[in-house]
Amino acid sequence: MFIRFFYMLREKGVPVTPTSFLRLQKALALGLIGSVDDFYTAARSILVKSERYFDTYDQVFAHHFKGATFEEITDVELTDVAKALLEEWLKRPKELAEALGLDENKLAQYTPEELLRYFLDRLKEQKEAHHGGNRWIGTGGTSPVGHSGNHPGGMRVGGASRNKSAVKVAMERRYRDYSQEGPLTELQMGEALKRLRRMIPHGPRDVVNVDKTITETMRNGGEISIVFDRRLSDRLKVILMIDNGGWSMDPYIEIVQTLFNYARSQFKDLKIYYFHNTVYSRVWLDPQRHLRPEAVEEFTRRDPDTRLIIVGDAAMAPSELRWANGSIYVGETERRSSEDRLKFLTQTFRHAVWLNPQAEASWNYTWTIEVIGKIFPMFELTLDGLDKAVQHLMKRH
Amino acid sequence: MNPVGEPHRFQGASQYVLDDELAKIVNVSIALEMPLLLKGEPGTGKTMLAHAIAESLAMPLIVLNVKSSMKLLDALYQYDTLTRLNDSRFGDSKREVSNISEYIRMGKIGQAFASDCRTVLLIDEIDKADTDFQDDMLDVLDQMQFDIMEIDKTVTARNRPVIIITSNAKKDLSDPFLGRCNFHHIAFPDPEMMRMILNVHFPDLSEELAKACLHAFYRLREFRGIEKKPATRELINWVRALRADPDFDLKAVENGEIPYLGVLFKKSVDMNLAIQQSGRPRR
Repeated sequence: MFIRFFYMLREKGVPVTPTSFLRLQKALALGLIGSVDDFYTAARSILVKSERYFDTYDQVFAHHFKGATFEEITDVELTDVAKALLEEWLKRPKELAEALGLDENKLAQYTPEELLRYFLDRLKEQKEAHHGGNRWIGTGGTSPVGHSGNHPGGMRVGGASRNKSAVKVAMERRYRDYSQEGPLTELQMGEALKRLRRMIPHGPRDVVNVDKTITETMRNGGEISIVFDRRLSDRLKVILMIDNGGWSMDPYIEIVQTLFNYARSQFKDLKIYYFHNTVYSRVWLDPQRHLRPEAVEEFTRRDPDTRLIIVGDAAMAPSELRWANGSIYVGETERRSSEDRLKFLTQTFRHAVWLNPQAEASWNYTWTIEVIGKIFPMFELTLDGLDKAVQHLMKRH
Repeated sequence: MNPVGEPHRFQGASQYVLDDELAKIVNVSIALEMPLLLKGEPGTGKTMLAHAIAESLAMPLIVLNVKSSMKLLDALYQYDTLTRLNDSRFGDSKREVSNISEYIRMGKIGQAFASDCRTVLLIDEIDKADTDFQDDMLDVLDQMQFDIMEIDKTVTARNRPVIIITSNAKKDLSDPFLGRCNFHHIAFPDPEMMRMILNVHFPDLSEELAKACLHAFYRLREFRGIEKKPATRELINWVRALRADPDFDLKAVENGEIPYLGVLFKKSVDMNLAIQQSGRPRR
C-alpha cells in the first residue's frame, strides 16, 4: 500500500528508508490508522526524520492525495516583485490600505517586514485564485494577526491542526521555512566551537582517583587511603580579534560576536578586541575603536597558551600591510609595519588562526590575503572551516 | 473521555495543552513500541510532554538527563567498587562482600527495565552526548536488554518502557539513530495555542490582559540579535509577575511598555537590546 507515495517521497529527495516504510505498514496492519488525517501524521512521524523535509512531505502528500500541483513560483521571485510593488505603494498609503483591505491607521502600525509578509500572503492567495483553484484555504481573512502566522526571521509557525483535514493542513505548507538548506546558525557554530576546549583539573578535590588510591593503600600496608583529585573542566583562554572596520565585514560582526558570547561560559577567559583591516600597534576593547586601546606589545604578558582567533576579510591596500606608515589613519605614525605586528602575534601565541568570511576560492585574487595567509593559518568562516580551525587550535605544537 | 479497555492511550494532562497531531504521534509510537524523538526550540514543551504522558497514563516517569561527558554505562548500571572496597576492609555492613551483585546500582535506563510496571522513560537532551553514546543506547533500547559484565547477568526489560527522547537540535543526529525513532518537530506555539496554554495555567486570566501580554510577547520575540528568546516558561512567569503586582497598569502594556523585563530576558545583553528596540525607553 502507498508504494507510489513512498517512491514519490524518495524522488523528491526525502530520505525515506524501506525499514521505516515497513514500519508504516505495521502501523496500518495494527489498525492504528483510521483516516487520512491519521495517515498524514503517522506516516510523517515514521518516515520523515527531520523538519527540513516536512515541507517536501507536505507537498508530496497534497499532490498524492489531492492532486495539488507543485509550486512553481519561488518565494524569492515573489518577494522581489512584492518589494517593488510595495515601495511604489508606500508613496500612496491610502491606496495600499485599500488594496490590502486594511484600515489606514492599522497600516501605520506595521513595520515594513510585517507589511511585506502580510502583503505576500495576500499576493499568494491571489495567484492561486488566478489559476482557477480554490484549494488554498483562508482566502477571506483580513485579520492581520490570525492569518499570517509568522514570527521573526520569517519562520512560519505551525500550530495545532484543529478542525482541518490533513490535506488542507498539508497544503498550508506550515514547514516551508524549515526547508531551506541549513544556513549557518549561531547554534550550529556554537556546537563547532564546543570542541575548542582543553580539560584541566579545576575546583574542589571531589573525584576519587582509583589508581592512586590502590597504590597509596598498598603503600600504606593495607590501610585504606583514598586519593581525591580535582574534576577535569575546561579552562581555556581565548582572545578574539574582530575586524569591524570596513563595510565588507558588517554582515559578519554580529554573528561572530553572538557566537563567541554564546560560547563564553565554557572558556575561562574570553576577550574580544576590535581592529580595522589589520593590526597595528593597538587593538581596542570597544567596538568604536576609540576609548579603550590596548598595545599589542602588552600581549606578551598573556598566557602563551591562549588561543588567538582573528576574524577579518584580510583585504586591504598592500601599503597598509607592508609599510610602517601605511596606516589608513592619517596622522598616526607607526614604528613597525602591520606585517611585523601580525608575525609578532603568531610568535606570541602558538595557537592562532585567522577566520575569513570570504569564500576560499576567491582568496587567490587578493594579494594581502595571500600574505596574511602565510603568517596565519587561514580558514573560511563556515561550519566546515570553523571545524578545521578548531582542530588546528587544539593541535599540540 | 478515556475509553475503558484502552488504558494506554494518551489524551493530554492537566497542565499540558496537547495538539491533536502530537497526540496521534504519541499514540502511534506507543503502539509501535518505538522511541519518539522530539525536536524543537527550547520552550516548546518537549520535556513537559513526557511528564504529561506519565501523568495521563499513570506510569512512573524516569528521567535521564544526558550530559556531554556521559558514558552509556552510567545510564545502565554502576558497579560501586568503592563501597565494596570499604565493606571488605571494615566489614561493618550487612552486605555480602563476595556477592558483587549487591554492589550493582541501576542507572536510569536500568531502572526503567527493572521496574515492575511499565514506565515512561524520558531521555532529555540527547544531542548533548556524543554519537557513540546515541547509537549504543539505541541498540540497548532496541533489544530491550543489556549485560552486566561484572556478574555476567543479562538484564531484560520486564515491560517495554514508553520512550521519549528530546533534542534541542544543536547538532544533527546520526542516520541509524533517526532510523530507529519516530520523529516529530514541535513548532513554537502560535498565539492561539499560546492563549490556550495560558488558560491552563491561569484559568481566571482576563481576556484583555492575555491579549496585551501575548501581543507584547510575540513582539519581543521578533527583536533582532536576541540570544535567548523568551519562551513559554518566561511568558508564564511574566504573567504571574504582572498579576502579583498591585500597581500594575494594563494600559502600560497595551502602550508598548514592558515591566519586569528581567523575567523575560535572562541575559544582560539581550535585555539591553530589548530596551533599545522596544522603542519607548521607560522614563
